[in-house]
Amino acid sequence: MNKKKWLVLSVAALALTSAACSSKDAGSGAQAPSGGTSAAGNANAPKPQLKSLQIWQKDDYNTYPVAKVLEERTGYKVQYDMLPQDKPQDKLNLLIASAEPYDAITTGGGSDFKALYADYAKKGALTDLTPLIDKFGPNIKASISQATFDAAKVDGKIYAIPTRTIEFGGTSLMIRTDWLEKLNLKMPTTLDEFAQVLKAFKEKDPGGNGDKNAPLTIRGDSPFVENIVGAFGMPNSWNDTGGKLTPRLLDPAYKEYVAFMTDLFKQGLLDKEFSVNKDATMKEKFTSGRAGVIPLHWADVPTVIDALKKNQPDAKYAYIPALKGKDGKMGLSVNGGFDRITFIPKASKHAEDAVKWMNAKLDKDTFKLMAIGEEGKHYTYKDGSYTPILPIFTDERNQANNFLMGVDEKNYPVYWQARVRKDPRLFEAWEYLNVKQPANTRVIDPLAFSPYLAEYSKNNQSLGTMMGEYTVKLIFGAEQISGYDAFVQKYKASGGDASYKEVNDWYATVKK
Amino acid sequence: MKSTSLSDRCIDLFSYTVLTAMALATLLPFANVLSKSVSEEWAVVSGKVGIFPIGFQLDTMQYVITSSQFVRSFAVSAGITAVGTLLSILLTAISAYPLSKRHLPGVGAILVLYIFTMMFNGGIIPNYLLIRSLGLINSLWSLILPVMISVFNLLVIKSYFESLPEALEDSAKMDGARTFTILFRIILPLSGPVIATIALFYAVYFWNDFFNPMLYISDPSLKPLQLYLRDIVMDADSSSAITKSVDDMMNVSGEGVRAATVIASTVPIVLVYPFLQKYFIKGVLIGSVKG
Repeated sequence: MNKKKWLVLSVAALALTSAACSSKDAGSGAQAPSGGTSAAGNANAPKPQLKSLQIWQKDDYNTYPVAKVLEERTGYKVQYDMLPQDKPQDKLNLLIASAEPYDAITTGGGSDFKALYADYAKKGALTDLTPLIDKFGPNIKASISQATFDAAKVDGKIYAIPTRTIEFGGTSLMIRTDWLEKLNLKMPTTLDEFAQVLKAFKEKDPGGNGDKNAPLTIRGDSPFVENIVGAFGMPNSWNDTGGKLTPRLLDPAYKEYVAFMTDLFKQGLLDKEFSVNKDATMKEKFTSGRAGVIPLHWADVPTVIDALKKNQPDAKYAYIPALKGKDGKMGLSVNGGFDRITFIPKASKHAEDAVKWMNAKLDKDTFKLMAIGEEGKHYTYKDGSYTPILPIFTDERNQANNFLMGVDEKNYPVYWQARVRKDPRLFEAWEYLNVKQPANTRVIDPLAFSPYLAEYSKNNQSLGTMMGEYTVKLIFGAEQISGYDAFVQKYKASGGDASYKEVNDWYATVKK
Repeated sequence: MKSTSLSDRCIDLFSYTVLTAMALATLLPFANVLSKSVSEEWAVVSGKVGIFPIGFQLDTMQYVITSSQFVRSFAVSAGITAVGTLLSILLTAISAYPLSKRHLPGVGAILVLYIFTMMFNGGIIPNYLLIRSLGLINSLWSLILPVMISVFNLLVIKSYFESLPEALEDSAKMDGARTFTILFRIILPLSGPVIATIALFYAVYFWNDFFNPMLYISDPSLKPLQLYLRDIVMDADSSSAITKSVDDMMNVSGEGVRAATVIASTVPIVLVYPFLQKYFIKGVLIGSVKG
């Protein structure tokens, strides 16, 4: 009796372990080329249901109105899953490693995801889309420019449909204009005037805050203040200095910038507590009337201004124009590159249909319907501009951007403005930075359309953090500028040199 | 005599002060989140909300509670917690019972097998592959089956069973009761405190679990509450990042929504505590009091 029990137990244990082992084998085995495309191309067969993995959003993709529109227009029924908002890379790695049969995977287009994508492509986990697009993707070819495709290539092959981002200047300095009026000051246009204004804000205290007054406040984790860095010729984290791309730390203007900010800090013109400020604390200080100037993204304007007006009904605000430094340098960073990328893993059972589906989504009318809806129902069109009809636009199209897989690059930037017109204050802020300011104040990130750069992707984030922390310490005096050379050595050794070489090797090929 | 009572009183005073301070320290953040969830947006943004709400409103709360994703996630979590807790308790008790019988041959060896799993496991990827080959990906069973027996809880129940007098079972046997009758009609009813405590442990675990769902669930309609909550909180955190898509930033989602979501998902499990608390002391203390 007892012996029997033991036997049963050990057999059960064996079965369990062998099951675990065989499943492991199945997983890694499936990763090998297992005939990614469905070989049987029955033209008459009913369209299969596709499985698509998407970026996280608040609402369920499957029940979102856009999903229904797309199903009707393309004829494909799609099951949408999504990645978590927290550490999506980890989950994606797990899904790719276990060869989950998704037909389309859309991720962010930032450097971290570009690195993952290139890695998968090199390891053979993705379907080469080049022949499929040639065969089934006329709309894809017509919508997406060659330059965009080139930046998405890995080893000369296209493995992903890139979605180009809308390019705009995002963040600049917001100032309390009622404080300016109170002191009879003009809007500053140069760095010197700006420092004068801050000084007046400190000494004359137009906000009536006493010693809690902070003329300028910034976030502790971003010591490179938009607009001010532009006046030193460093609007982006890498800038062209004499034909070479240089990160801010190695830029000849770095020391000058730090000296300027240190000076502001010493004079008490920069918030004393700036190094511990989070985004929220910075906004709190501005909206409660304790700070006169903050860097602010135009998308945050409505919320911040609402709060400001509630606290101080007389408050007025405006963006400071791009400040001029010496030699007339100025500029605001403009983002660019990929908003997202969509690829098809080898494990997909319907790669061909997935391409057909994406092609159908980029049909001109379908694309417009997906992006901004129907005229007269979701938006109105007048004088070349699209205005949303609220609230239905927000209800049915607010998340439409998450369904994009490639965009109609000619028209989408125009359609897209409908989103900004949802709120007049939002539009005003966006328009000021992107229409009213002269074009030469907007400087596109030179690395926006770089291909995947291995060293750069690997080190970019850690180097950025390292440099940011060092700069903060310099500004509030915990480090002295005399230690600069030693820090540069450390920076170069931690991957700075390798990134520099790699970025400039690539830059030499595009700069003629 | 008098001096001892004086020192006693000093100690009392000291304990009360420390306990009150600690209670406040744990309550204040909660009060802050609660106030944020019912305050007007401008007050939250400008950082004015402390312990008390400013500009009381229930719109945020209503927005959160009526959001379809929240409702579904809530239902999923409630379902997992109910089913998971019941199954877990049942299985743990059934497994603990024979293990508490020291006279059974091989009990020691089996116990070692159990304890082995407390210290070693396959790791995330093998676990994932196992769940996948069992066909449990995107199935709520993947959140219940792999974690049904917690060995720690099993040991707690086992030692409670051991503390029950053996004579009880012997007399039941003499009256003709079989093993299952003894377990379900005699042992379990006597184990109320420990069962309640362990049930609470399991319930809290199932309610709070976010790691397994993160791994195994991709279908949005099956996401449990904690995963949803985590996404919402992360979303608010990262919305200031420059890299984030601006289209997302335009959604009105503030600190307030975050706070309301936290409250709405924490309150239910907090409400369970008072009802089970009376069993707590008896249940967890097993083994320390002999007699």
